[in-house]
Amino acid sequence: MSPDSARRAENLGYTNVKVYVDGVPEWVKRNYLVLSTQFLKEAWIEKDIPHVLLDVRAAKDAEAGFIKGAVSLPAADVEKSIVKFPPKDKRAPIMIYDQKGGDEAVKAAKVLIAAGYAPVDIVSGGFDAWKAAGFPVQTGKLAENIVYVPKPRPGEISIEEFTKIARAIPADTLILDVRNRDEANAGMIKGAMLVPDEEILDRFAEIPKDKKIVTHCSTGVRAEMAYHKLKEKGYSVQFLNAKVEINDKGEFKIEKP
Amino acid sequence: MLQKCISTFSFAAALTIGMFSGQAVAQEKAAAPPTKPTVAKVCANCHEPQPGTIRGNFDNVAYKTKSIQVKIDEATEILRFDDKLKIENVQAPADSPDQPLRGIKKGKEVRIDYSEKDGKKFATAVVVKPPIKVAPEKMAMTEDVERLVAQGPEKGKYLLIDARPLPRFQEGGIPTAVNVPFPAFEKMKDKLPADKAMLIVYYCAGVT
Repeated sequence: MSPDSARRAENLGYTNVKVYVDGVPEWVKRNYLVLSTQFLKEAWIEKDIPHVLLDVRAAKDAEAGFIKGAVSLPAADVEKSIVKFPPKDKRAPIMIYDQKGGDEAVKAAKVLIAAGYAPVDIVSGGFDAWKAAGFPVQTGKLAENIVYVPKPRPGEISIEEFTKIARAIPADTLILDVRNRDEANAGMIKGAMLVPDEEILDRFAEIPKDKKIVTHCSTGVRAEMAYHKLKEKGYSVQFLNAKVEINDKGEFKIEKP
Repeated sequence: MLQKCISTFSFAAALTIGMFSGQAVAQEKAAAPPTKPTVAKVCANCHEPQPGTIRGNFDNVAYKTKSIQVKIDEATEILRFDDKLKIENVQAPADSPDQPLRGIKKGKEVRIDYSEKDGKKFATAVVVKPPIKVAPEKMAMTEDVERLVAQGPEKGKYLLIDARPLPRFQEGGIPTAVNVPFPAFEKMKDKLPADKAMLIVYYCAGVT
């Protein structure tokens, strides 16, 4: 999008147009991004998009008024608290605010970026700007544990719910194992039905329409593909987006990498 | 043997999921759509629909069943492929050189050529959007932008423009940037400076 925009600006007569080709993905490796309090409210908090919100002021100041969902972590403590953050490869967006969008937020952001976290965002104007905009303020104790749960993909069933179903399959539910035959031969969940993902399009007739279908494979990838094929045919279906190992006794181990 | 699980997704993909989750719910309520789109909105800026071609965002590959999953906005297409599949602009990952499609990042814009038989789509080519060529003298590097941002627009005499769609910009932009999404270029011409010689730096979500 940026090279196209640059070309059009040149067509308008601008003579000094450059393109930062590497863009945001490179920028966030070494630098923080910024966002306004309004964007924090509208694009993250109200849309319920998973993120980590840090209030880096002194705990006493934060308790007198903070933004909903914020975790209290004074800027000076960020470095020693790195272990409490979600693993870097989860790429949890981290939002930081201080009183005025100043040095404390920048200091905390720099520690996190140096530790390999990205993206790290600073809320422009900090808590003062949030308050001045008339946005809701909470008081009292802030959360201390940093929690980040990525949003499930559409159609995903939780591991807890799947485990419950797999231990005792309800009469209205069918577990559909969509792995290949050689994988299934090594062990299947008791009561599950095997239809390898590549055969689903030819075998709809065998899959009951009046049951709730839950698909699984060994990683979640094929289970999701099967989910889409079944959903398109009008099935009520969910899929397990996780690693599954099943032994010849039907005992299973599920983990979310 | 277990395949590497795909649930650790990139930043861009995570955002995409966030953006689409609301639409997916709406779709669930509606009746099954009669025809699926073949060109995602992001691709429709430059590409018309073409028979036998899908343009969308790469989602997943399952080598065990030789299937790929592509998102066309809120719709999903699954296509089979075989060893004759043509793959362009893709670097196979070092740890699985024989599975080149694993080198495509989730969410990357791709064109897929396919044939269809008995309602089953069969991919013949996967072409990843190539980076748009920018002449070296027109490129700004991270260091250049860092230097400008440190000076600020007044002292640095520049205008930094984020060409991504508003929802992406809302999630966080480079300090001092203003948002002029590429599709709204004409409508937002008044955001450009009066001085035609002033330095304008555009950026978006990068080329990789």
